[in-house]
Amino acid sequence: MTEHVVADADEISDGERIIAQIEGREIGIFRKDGEYHAFLNWCPHQGGPACEGTISGTNESTFDRDSLELEVCWENEGNVLNCPWHGWEFDLKSGDCLAPRDDQLPTYPVKTRDGELVVEL
Amino acid sequence: MDTDIHLTTPTDQIAQYADKPYADYLSAEDVQLKSPGWDPTMGGKIEERTLLTPEDIEEEVKGEIHIDYPIVNAFVNLSRLSQSETAVHLQRACNDLLLDQFLDDHDFHGLATVATQKPDKAAEELDRIGDEDKIVGVFLTSTGPRPPLGDPEYDILYQAAEDNGLPIAYHGATNSGFDIEFPIHSQEFEKFVEAHVNAHLWSQTMTLTSTMVNGIPEKFPDLDLVFLEAGISWVPYMMFRLNKELSMRRSEAPLLEKQPEEYIRDSYYFATQPLGEPMDPEHMKTMIDMVGKDSLMFASDYPHWDFDHPTELNGYLRSLFSPEDRERVLSGNASEVFGIGI
Ligand code: FES
Repeated sequence: MTEHVVADADEISDGERIIAQIEGREIGIFRKDGEYHAFLNWCPHQGGPACEGTISGTNESTFDRDSLELEVCWENEGNVLNCPWHGWEFDLKSGDCLAPRDDQLPTYPVKTRDGELVVEL
Repeated sequence: MDTDIHLTTPTDQIAQYADKPYADYLSAEDVQLKSPGWDPTMGGKIEERTLLTPEDIEEEVKGEIHIDYPIVNAFVNLSRLSQSETAVHLQRACNDLLLDQFLDDHDFHGLATVATQKPDKAAEELDRIGDEDKIVGVFLTSTGPRPPLGDPEYDILYQAAEDNGLPIAYHGATNSGFDIEFPIHSQEFEKFVEAHVNAHLWSQTMTLTSTMVNGIPEKFPDLDLVFLEAGISWVPYMMFRLNKELSMRRSEAPLLEKQPEEYIRDSYYFATQPLGEPMDPEHMKTMIDMVGKDSLMFASDYPHWDFDHPTELNGYLRSLFSPEDRERVLSGNASEVFGIGI
């Protein structure tokens, strides 16, 4: 593991991102609720630039078997990253794919040190 | 080589290649050459990408997705225009635009646009542009044209395509008339066999899709769903297509917690009749294997004219499955699902 200083931490405001080149790889670094998250800019679906997609919420749904009531709610606003190629959704904090499959964006440890953003690769 | 690269062709650009009064008509604000009103962007979660210029093709198609030989189509739904005279005029404009802006000076090939409303005029257009080296085929949208595209009305179009050495490329889409024409098409089949081949497939793919997207197997996990009379070859296609589409558009079916394939294997059953008849029996074995011993149940559909005698299926099952699994398909699954002790 090598540490790479990629930017000043305050270069990214909350809810924003930067894409950094580290050792020939594109890494998306997101700041959300004061925390930083780093993912490879490579979608496990077909290799799209997932870190460049829109950040939104998404629909979640519940169904009550007895009343037959279906509720669909827009939730997690600001926490869903959408791959720009075909719309796979990822949790902005964990990188997990929201569709029911075992895929996720490759993640990297990221921290701040003396006001700088450090990614480990 | 990529056989299906779509241009976005703005109407005001087509207007530059059209004569009056059609050019002015195209500039009118309410001219609609596409869009049935569904939202492909999922509320803006993904952007619609467009290829507007040859530079876009160079950068994105050749550069980013590594296609050396793009075959582009103008993707203009002329078949949807009610005024066939306009459509006939605009086919020329579309092809001139394609040649002038995209094909003449660039290393791309293209498919011709034709107005299917007037097959004789479409044929004339193919004769006009047929010896252009860069025009390599004819683009037809599968659900826009009426009647369906095998009707003898189109023979003159096919004749011109053949004479000019141009293959026909049929393109299925949601925005090329599917919304309106799809149910009407079935009334325009001339022969019963055309309707019969498609009716079961269409109704069952629609029902499978509708139950899945609305989450019926998630809402009612103990409910078994049995599909009769469409055979089985359509099942792998739909299973895999639903997997793909519902991962891409999860937010349109948020109730689902498993992949469609898992629900299909758990809750859906498929009666085997009419078992298709591939020329190579190995292909049917693969199909039966893919749908799986736990999801299949025998049906004859007797006394209808296309009924299946059990010997046909049995022949495959004997060579493919263990005696126990063969038993499951011939009676075990049905006996469980319908609760009939044997
Ligand atoms: S490549 Fe990311 S959704 Fe397909």
